[in-house]
Amino acid sequence: MTTDFFNSIGNLPLLSADLWPAWVAGGAIGIFAFAQRWLTDQPLGCSAAFGNVCARAGSRLPLFQGDAHSRATDWKIWFLIGIFLGGLFASVSSGTWAAPTHFGALYEALMPQSALGRIAWWLLGGVLIGMGARMAGGCTSGHTINGVAMGSPASIVASILFFSAALGTAQIAQFLLNLKLGAA
Amino acid sequence: MNSHSLIIRNGSFLLFGIVFGFLLSRAGATDPALISSLLLLQNLHLLWVIATAVGVGAVLNLSAKFFRWRNLSNRQPISFPHKPFVRALVPGALLFGIGWGLTGVCPGTAPAMLGEGQWFAGIILIGIVVGTWMVGLMHHKRIKRVPKPTHHAKETHS
Repeated sequence: MTTDFFNSIGNLPLLSADLWPAWVAGGAIGIFAFAQRWLTDQPLGCSAAFGNVCARAGSRLPLFQGDAHSRATDWKIWFLIGIFLGGLFASVSSGTWAAPTHFGALYEALMPQSALGRIAWWLLGGVLIGMGARMAGGCTSGHTINGVAMGSPASIVASILFFSAALGTAQIAQFLLNLKLGAA
Repeated sequence: MNSHSLIIRNGSFLLFGIVFGFLLSRAGATDPALISSLLLLQNLHLLWVIATAVGVGAVLNLSAKFFRWRNLSNRQPISFPHKPFVRALVPGALLFGIGWGLTGVCPGTAPAMLGEGQWFAGIILIGIVVGTWMVGLMHHKRIKRVPKPTHHAKETHS
């Protein structure tokens, strides 16, 4: 199996393949995160940018007035805009742009059926994500990809809790809904 | 920082973002079905992505620390600022995990998903901004109760 795995890399169309093998994608993300650190001396992170968005949208709350969200750190917002363009480029080059989302067995079973219900679901989910990331001081990029790779104790604790809570949520939901799940 | 270097800085991070967004997409991190099968323990693809990213990052970080590699920004040894333990870290991380578990989206993948034409990620992005703002509001109420005249709590103390 391992040899098949490596043989397949030789002629893998990396630019147009919609999904890379886990170790190729993971390795590239690890190298990317380090390259950004080496070039800019700034660690990878995504969620702090939303504090900058609050500040630029006119919020006068003191949390968003400090150095962490000053105009000099608005590159955090530009980073998110870049991510948007990266997703656009990835989907256009693989021919999957605006393809219908497959939510998988968990979300198909969990989410409300009505459009309005789903909008409320996603808004509430977003609020939990935004609150949680700001309270914890980072998200999966800042704490997990960046912090755990530095051996930062707070980031290791945060990452364990991220995954435990997400896994627990899904497992409890599966138990409550008594899902009959095939391969998602 | 003058406006010229600010443009270079913002432009560089725009480029970094493009690379990161592209990689998140190719990794499958923007595919809710893959998150669903990860959290139901049916397909651990994304776990291996994260584990490889962290492993490769750890080797590079350790090498950089050991050999005192200098960054290209100010030619000083690369810094490794650890995020602080804050009181809100535990409840925050749990809330984040629940939100991530319920939607299959996180703050980094949401813009990439929007770029891919997965429009619902736009609603999640609005929710993330509202949630971030609510933490700012809670923080404001708390520092009003316990006045700190010289300086207010740092960003992550909420």
